[in-house]
Amino acid sequence: MCERPTVVQKHGDRLPRVLSTVARTLPAIVGILLVVLLAMSPGIAYAGKPGTGEPLFYPCSACHPTDGSAEGLPNDFTGHRIKLQGHDVLGEGDQACLVCHDEASKDPGKLKLIDGSLVDVTGDVALVCYRCHSAVYNEWKAGAHGRPTGKCTSSGCHDPHTPQYIFGSALLPFVGMGFTAQVRSETATFTPLAAPPLNHPIETPPWLRTLTGLAVVGVGGLAGSLIRGRSRR
Amino acid sequence: MSEIATTTPETAAEPRPGIKRFINVDFNVGALKNAGPRYWTFIGLLAIPVTMFLVALGVLITRSGAVVAMRDTNPWGLWFIFYMYYVGLSAGGLAVYASVHLFGAEQFRPLARFAVLQAGVLVMCALLGIASEIPGPAADLGRMLWFLRTPNFTSPFVYTGSAAAIYMLICFFDLWVMTSGTGGHKLAFRMTLIALPFAVYLHTTTAFVLSMNKGRELWHTAVMVPIFLTSATASGVALLMIFAYILQATKQYRFKPSMFRSLSTFLATVIIIDIFLLLVEILVVYWPTSVMPGHVIRMNDFVTLGGRYAVVFLPVLILGITAFTLLARRSTRHLPAVQLTAAVLYVFAIFLKRYSLDVMGFSYTTLFQNTGIYIPSLVEWLMGIGIMCFGIMFVAIAIKVLPMEEPEEEHNQAEHHGSQATSVDSQPEPTIEGGVA
Repeated sequence: MCERPTVVQKHGDRLPRVLSTVARTLPAIVGILLVVLLAMSPGIAYAGKPGTGEPLFYPCSACHPTDGSAEGLPNDFTGHRIKLQGHDVLGEGDQACLVCHDEASKDPGKLKLIDGSLVDVTGDVALVCYRCHSAVYNEWKAGAHGRPTGKCTSSGCHDPHTPQYIFGSALLPFVGMGFTAQVRSETATFTPLAAPPLNHPIETPPWLRTLTGLAVVGVGGLAGSLIRGRSRR
Repeated sequence: MSEIATTTPETAAEPRPGIKRFINVDFNVGALKNAGPRYWTFIGLLAIPVTMFLVALGVLITRSGAVVAMRDTNPWGLWFIFYMYYVGLSAGGLAVYASVHLFGAEQFRPLARFAVLQAGVLVMCALLGIASEIPGPAADLGRMLWFLRTPNFTSPFVYTGSAAAIYMLICFFDLWVMTSGTGGHKLAFRMTLIALPFAVYLHTTTAFVLSMNKGRELWHTAVMVPIFLTSATASGVALLMIFAYILQATKQYRFKPSMFRSLSTFLATVIIIDIFLLLVEILVVYWPTSVMPGHVIRMNDFVTLGGRYAVVFLPVLILGITAFTLLARRSTRHLPAVQLTAAVLYVFAIFLKRYSLDVMGFSYTTLFQNTGIYIPSLVEWLMGIGIMCFGIMFVAIAIKVLPMEEPEEEHNQAEHHGSQATSVDSQPEPTIEGGVA
């Protein structure tokens, strides 16, 4: 029978071995920690929301049902204003709305297509974009522009009221982060808002002013006597 | 020969007449009793602003925040400017003290005790300034206790406030170690090891109070901490130099010119780093390819001639560069007038810098509303100046009463290492004014 050689482990050998094991596993440990920290970071979790491509108020039909079933807006919400960016070139006030919507008084009513027919906001709204952006629409249909999703609006990339905002999808390897970009043609000029509310005036008791005046005279007198004394010496 | 308490073994065994021993320190009460009229005139001069501080505090408590210029648009006023200023100035004391005990810079040893005293008193003044922030009758004590009982750990004020309190205690404990001779060099060395990280922590957290405000562009900069440290060290060293010259002018101590030369070189080095960081900060704001309109508009108020705060900020650059230029010339750096002028200019420049720093964050609100110009009220000035005079009075009494002179064995050791200073007691020079003859 073959006797196995006894391994004599010297005390001094242990430390280098432990250190080398640590050195080998350290990058993996740091990497795992980094991933865990990134996943736990509230900033990243928050940044992941726009990556779904779901703008805050969309779909419109959540608050504006087209079948007239809703009696009021949820959570005492009284309404909101739509501010056009980019599409403000369509006109002023209701004029801009009526380029796409059939009637300004309806919320949101129907949308106009190129042939004059109407489509529901929950329908194929990309056809509304087609009226002016036919070339991009065809590219999108062919899969050469944007994502191959069912719509180019609510669950897709563009908010029709602010089409410059693009809701980007997640980018590997940072799955879940996503991004929101705004395409702007020029740098906006900075304009401070209105003046702040007027501050309450400072109240200084008159007797305090008088007392301070006397104190200044006193300090001046003592300082003068010190200076005079020094110059005499 | 004048009588200054020392901690030599002989005096430790039998205190001389006029000296009272308490907590192992020989307090030279006799020096106060025999102080001349000029000394007491000086103390009386300081007592007037201190009294006015108490009057102003009373007005603040009874009339509440209406008597100060601090409003919602500018909630941190002169007290915070002085807080930053005093905390910064205390750094000079530590720099000199640490260089003696940690790095063996023997040429600064004669200044070590004064440096610790200066640092401790300045931090004490910084903390006293918080009194301006407690307006409102009856609620004052409650607010203070509430602050202590329920600290908000997400606020940098908790860290800077506690650090200041602990650092002040460390400084006074250090002073006790040095003046009582307890523990000798070993304990002094260990205390420096404790004090140094605390000082860095204090200055860093004070800068964090500003830089953690992400809504205020001019504060929210990573350069804030190093710029705070450099300007603190520069102004602190400059103040210590002024302090040393005053001690020499009053014929209490005499320091060799080479010590002042070393201080001047140190000061010039830190000043240029400080100015460099400030210019970098301005460059970042105005760098043309990454300009943020709000950022530039805020800074325009400080660096353009017509700006609201240009009168406060531009002198920071002018005085700073002048001070550096004065000290940069090797041929004139040794002249006391040059050194003193540069030191005074920089100490004043840093006060203006702290003023600018405070209002930089408040010149516009976070909604970009113009907030006008912040000018402290009479009550705020009275409180600020009163605290300053209290600090000076504290120092004036401390250097009279405490054994600030080097013990004989340290003195010899310092000389052995090429110390640059001697006390008048060891010289055939005129006696210390006010000392017991």
